[in-house]
Amino acid sequence: MNNKSSGFLSWFMDPKRRGPMLIAPAIIVLLLVNIIPLMWSFGLSFFKYRANTLKLPKFSWFYSYEKVLTKDNIWESLQTTAIIVAGSVGLQMILGFLLALLFASQFPLRKILLMFVLAPMMLSNVAVAIYFKLFYEPEFGLLSQFVQTYITGEMYVLLSTPAGALIGVIVADAWQWTPFVMLLVLAGLVSVPKHLYEAAEIDRMSWWRKFTTITFPYVRSLLLLAVLFRTIETVKIFDLVFILTNGGPGTATETIGVLVYRTAFQFFRTSNSAAMGYILLFAVIVLTSLYLYVIKQRESEEI
Amino acid sequence: MFNLTKKFLLAFLASIVFSVGVSKTVSAKTVEIIMAAPDWPPTRFMQEYFNSNFPQSGDTEIKLTLDFIPWDNFYTNVAASLTSGEQKYSMIVSDSQWLGAFIEGGYFQKLNKYIDADPELQAIFDDMHQGYKEGYTTYPYKSENYYGFPQFPDNYVNFYRTDIFCNPEENAAFRAKYGKKLPCTYADWEIVVWDDIFDINEFLTRKKGEMLAGKPLEDDMFGVTYQAGKAYDFSSMQINGFFWQYGGDIWREDQQPDAQAIGVVNSDINVAALTKYLDLLATMHPSHKTGGMGIFEMQALYLEGKIASMINWVGLGAPVVDPNLSKVHDITGYARQPGTMQDDGTISRWANLGGQPFVLTTWMTDDEIDAAFKIIKWWLSFDTQIAAVKAGGQSCMKSIIYSDGYNALAPWNAAYVASMDWQKDVWHIPEFFELLTQQQEEFDKAITGQQDAKTTLDNIAEFQQELLEEVDRIQ
Repeated sequence: MNNKSSGFLSWFMDPKRRGPMLIAPAIIVLLLVNIIPLMWSFGLSFFKYRANTLKLPKFSWFYSYEKVLTKDNIWESLQTTAIIVAGSVGLQMILGFLLALLFASQFPLRKILLMFVLAPMMLSNVAVAIYFKLFYEPEFGLLSQFVQTYITGEMYVLLSTPAGALIGVIVADAWQWTPFVMLLVLAGLVSVPKHLYEAAEIDRMSWWRKFTTITFPYVRSLLLLAVLFRTIETVKIFDLVFILTNGGPGTATETIGVLVYRTAFQFFRTSNSAAMGYILLFAVIVLTSLYLYVIKQRESEEI
Repeated sequence: MFNLTKKFLLAFLASIVFSVGVSKTVSAKTVEIIMAAPDWPPTRFMQEYFNSNFPQSGDTEIKLTLDFIPWDNFYTNVAASLTSGEQKYSMIVSDSQWLGAFIEGGYFQKLNKYIDADPELQAIFDDMHQGYKEGYTTYPYKSENYYGFPQFPDNYVNFYRTDIFCNPEENAAFRAKYGKKLPCTYADWEIVVWDDIFDINEFLTRKKGEMLAGKPLEDDMFGVTYQAGKAYDFSSMQINGFFWQYGGDIWREDQQPDAQAIGVVNSDINVAALTKYLDLLATMHPSHKTGGMGIFEMQALYLEGKIASMINWVGLGAPVVDPNLSKVHDITGYARQPGTMQDDGTISRWANLGGQPFVLTTWMTDDEIDAAFKIIKWWLSFDTQIAAVKAGGQSCMKSIIYSDGYNALAPWNAAYVASMDWQKDVWHIPEFFELLTQQQEEFDKAITGQQDAKTTLDNIAEFQQELLEEVDRIQ
């Protein structure tokens, strides 16, 4: 018995197996909570199935994909998502860069201010959405009160038009995630060797020249990384939009994330929502590949 | 001595063990009923009143735990719980429209065999108001398959500010301008039609600082307001009433597969009805422009004194008379909502049925089913129903609503009871949420000025026709 158990222990503790054994729990968890559900949902996208009925799934090849891709609403929601991604990520890049430039220099109360600027990023999406919902509220929201008191004398209802609602979502998302971009860029800025700036000073280079030849090349790769991260995250945007505008007015702010949610959990068109999810995944993979391709091209040009 | 002490100790221990054992037998059996419920006054009252008044009997202790869920997400949360298979709830307060979806999914229990075997339950069914019984309990709609009991029956009531509508100076000014009376009493409101609301809203819309009822306004003031929210059913319920009052209709589930959506939903009558709804909305508080004029937002505006009147569910009445929550608790009157004048001079008052039944789920044990029926009988008993009505609730039991003194139990009761025969219900089929969500989105586009009534109803009719044909409900 002892020999058996010691045999098993020595087999178990064999240095050759130690590595695989150590990572096995993580792999099992990953399989159970990620890979298997992913494969399951991928399989379901080829069936006709509604999770709220007792009917069994019926194999239907690409029916769900065809159904989803031939409906106008997915193209509309993809367009809406693209507008929000372009607007929000663009705003985050500009503001994040400017804030990073500001915080790269030393000034009084810098650390305290930095703490305040970083705070939005640490809030939950739901908290941010509720905050902005109250901020935009026409009756007592700060924005409406300000416009009413100082500009028009009328209540201001930002979220009443498609353009206004899109701006509302973009501003809220940018407000939350600009600090993230700032942090990444700041990391690049502080890594720029001081002697380059000193040499530039000696050469009497203009501010713009210093920026384009020294500062920007150092932060470019981090900026691109920020674009990638924020684009992937914003393509999936759901909670902010769902709480702030509920996809409205009408369907003006219905992003692909909101549409997938409605299809899956309100309409219970389970197969269609799975197909939409994989179309979204495909879009994100294409975007990521494009990014990697651009990076590779740049690197090969630089070499 | 020692033996005596030993015997005494043994007897003492035995008696303790016995008494503990007996008491355990008596009170050990506890059956807990967990019920999903929307978070609002009628369900909160049920929990509080159960805790203090439910008569425990026999050797089983019944515990009722309501899981309160906000209204906006109520359907989604319940649907997620049911379809995930977690079997968390024994009972569910269900909107009547959900019946089909969750019966077809195998989650809601058919009650016919229990009703057939129990004279008390039969008496309850016989006592229910017919329209409410059909709406709350039947699937298919108006069939004899029963699934629920009324938890909280509801319909629309007009809540209005008596300090404004009954102010003599405002009344004189209104009469001078429009040649008619500003409605003040219940009887005055009985002859008010939607067209009158244009005048009332034009008259009562005032800016901050202007005088109203002899006082300068601290905020902008608006007149009569009704639902126009994008969430859940917060515009469809009001708009369906307009269709029916105008003589139009929605897709009729009780006439499938012959009933059509195209030609009915987008009929000229419905277009005229929706146009009237939208025109009136333009005279109301601007919150609807965000798609946010839901029932709670409207209630908040009324409680804050920012609108002169609201058409809202009776279920939201209790906070109106609560001095801790309401600035208008002692200056509110109650009437039926306005209607639409017919060619014969009568006023049509059709409205969409509100309120909810509660249902039993299919995985309940026999003990839980027994406990659930005890709760149902207790809730629908005369004394409990009267207590619920006094606390701001409602009843649809004929023996209660037509009893002497019922109208005096709550200030809105007269309006509620008078409206009961004017209720119709929306679809109960499993596809209802898809129909509802698309309709809400299209209505929201119209409410926020992105498209006109005709385009809106054409889009809705086309979507409904396609979906209902796909599931063989239209042939």
